[in-house]
Amino acid sequence: MKRNRTFIIVCLTPALLSFLFFFLYPVLRTLLMSFYQVKGIADSMSLWEYIGFSNYINLIGSQLFRQSLINIFKIWFIGGIISVFFATLFAVILTSGVRFKAFWRSLIYLPNTISAVAIATMWTQYAYSNQDFGLLKSLFGALGIRALADIQWTGPRFIFTSMLIAFCFGSVGYFMLILLAGMERIPKELYESSRLEGASIFVQFTRITLPLIRNVFRTCIVLWSVAAFNFFVWAQMFSPIPVPETITPVYYLYNVVFGSSMQVPGYINVGTGAAVGAILTILVVVLYSAINLAIPEKKLEY
Amino acid sequence: MSMTNLKSILKKDAPLTPAYILLLIWLLFSIVIIGWIFAASFSTTREIFTGTLFKSGIHIENYWNALVNQNFARYFFNSFVYTSTASVGIILISAPAAYVIGRMKFPGRKLLINTFLISMSIPVVMVVIPLFAVMIRLKLIGSMFTLIILYITSNVPFTVYFLTGFFSTLPKELEDSALIDGCSLYQAFWRIMLPLAQPGIITVGIFNFMTIWNEYFMALVFANKTELRTLAVGLQFTIQSMRYVGDWAGLFAAVIIVFLPTFILYILLSQKIIAGITGGAIKG
Repeated sequence: MKRNRTFIIVCLTPALLSFLFFFLYPVLRTLLMSFYQVKGIADSMSLWEYIGFSNYINLIGSQLFRQSLINIFKIWFIGGIISVFFATLFAVILTSGVRFKAFWRSLIYLPNTISAVAIATMWTQYAYSNQDFGLLKSLFGALGIRALADIQWTGPRFIFTSMLIAFCFGSVGYFMLILLAGMERIPKELYESSRLEGASIFVQFTRITLPLIRNVFRTCIVLWSVAAFNFFVWAQMFSPIPVPETITPVYYLYNVVFGSSMQVPGYINVGTGAAVGAILTILVVVLYSAINLAIPEKKLEY
Repeated sequence: MSMTNLKSILKKDAPLTPAYILLLIWLLFSIVIIGWIFAASFSTTREIFTGTLFKSGIHIENYWNALVNQNFARYFFNSFVYTSTASVGIILISAPAAYVIGRMKFPGRKLLINTFLISMSIPVVMVVIPLFAVMIRLKLIGSMFTLIILYITSNVPFTVYFLTGFFSTLPKELEDSALIDGCSLYQAFWRIMLPLAQPGIITVGIFNFMTIWNEYFMALVFANKTELRTLAVGLQFTIQSMRYVGDWAGLFAAVIIVFLPTFILYILLSQKIIAGITGGAIKG
C-alpha cells in the first residue's frame, strides 16, 4: 500500500538520521582517522597524513596506555565479581520475605540516581578523607584499630582499591534490580514444592534460581562490561590529573585529545585518540562474542 | 500489638536476622554519609576540621555562595534546559519509529532492530572525536544546541527499543476502527496510539531525564565554558577550586545542591524509575 509506505518512511527518517549522525558516520570516521596523523581535531581529510598502524603501535608501546588497559581489566574482573556477588546476595535477601522490601530496594538503588560526581566527592572528601573528620579514619580511630585508621585511602598504594570499592558500592543496586526482576518472574510453586521435599535455601538457589535467571546474569555481565570499558568519571574524580594507578583508556583519550596535562605543547595527534576508541570498540566486540560463546542465550519456559 | 502477635512476628523473622543486619548496615552507612555531609554543608570549614559541626549556628551562606558566586544557579538552569529539551526531543523522534517497527511489517525491519541494538553498546569514545569536529564546522561549539543535539541522538536507539515493545502490545482493534472511521495513519498514531502508549513514554522519559541529568563525559567535552556547564561538570570544577582555597563547607554545600534534585525526584518517582530500568534490561 502506497499510503503505508510514505507513513513508514516519514516515521523512520528522523530516527535513522539521528543514527547516521551520532553513530554510523562518527564510527566510520574514527576508524579511518586511527590510521592517520591528524594535527587538529577539525582538520579536513586533505590535511590528514596516512601513517598505517603507527598510532596503534605507539599506543601499545606507551606504558601509561598499557596500564590503562590493565586497570579496566581489573575493574571488569574484580569489580564485576564483587558487584554481581553482592547484587545477587541482596536480590536473594529481598526475595526471602523481609519486611519493607520496596524501601530496601529503593535504598540500595539510590546511588545510581545521583550524579557520580557528587557521590565520588562524598567518598573522596568525606569517607576516605585523611583529615580528622574522615569517616573511615574517625570510625577506625574510635574502634582503636590504628592500622586501619592510618591508611591513606587516596594515597598511591590504596587509591585503586578505594576507587573500586566506591564504584562497586554504587553498582550493586543496579544489578540487584535487574536480578530481582528476573527472580520475581520465577513461579513461587517451584520453591514451595522443593521446600516440601526438604531442599535448603542454598540448594534452592543453586538448583532453581541460578539456572532460571541465567539470561538475566548474561544481561548483567554485558551491562557491567559496558560500564567497565567506559570507566571515566570515577577515575577523574579520584585523580584530577591522570596517574598510572587509576588511568583508564577513556581518561587517556580525554587527555590526549581534549585535556592538557599529557600534551606536548604544539603537538597533538588526534589519530592516537581515534585509535584508543577503535581498540576499545574491538575489545567490546571480542568480549561480546566471548560472552555469546560462553553463555549462549537460551529460551527458557517456566 | 499483643505479646503473642509480636512473638509470632519474631519467630517468623528470626531466620532472616543476618539479612536484616546487612540491610541495616547499608542503611546506617547511607544515613551517616549523607547526614554528615548535609550537616557539614551548614557549618563552617573551621567547625568541620575541629569536629564541632553547628557550633556557631546554621550557615545558609554556604548555599548562597555556591549558587551565586560559584554559578550553581546558572549550572542548574543549564542542566534543566539540556535535560528537559532533550527528553522531549528524544520522544518526538523515537515514538513514531518505535510505532512503525512495533506494529508494521516492512523489508529491513529485523535489520533495523539489530542496528539500534548494536549502536547501544558502541563506546562513546568511538564517536566523540568526529562529533566534536562536526560541531566546530557547524559553528555550534559554544552554543547550548550542541549538547541538546547530542543528548537527543545518543538516546534514540535505546528509546526506540524500549517503546517498540510497548507499542507492539497495544490492541489492534482501536487502530483499525480509527482507520475505518476515516482517520489517516498520522491521525490514528497521534490521536489514538500515542495517548495509549503514555505509560511507556512517561517511564522511558523519566529514565532518559535521569540519564541526561547525570551524564558527564559529553558535558565535560562539549560544554567547557561557565555559561554552558551542567551541574555535574560545574561541581567538578568547583571541587578543584574549593580544595585549593580550603573552603570545605562550601564544597559540601555544592555537593548537596547537585545531590538534592535527583534525590527528591527519586523519592517521588522511585517506582516509575525502577520500572524503567528493569523494563529496558529484562526484555533483552
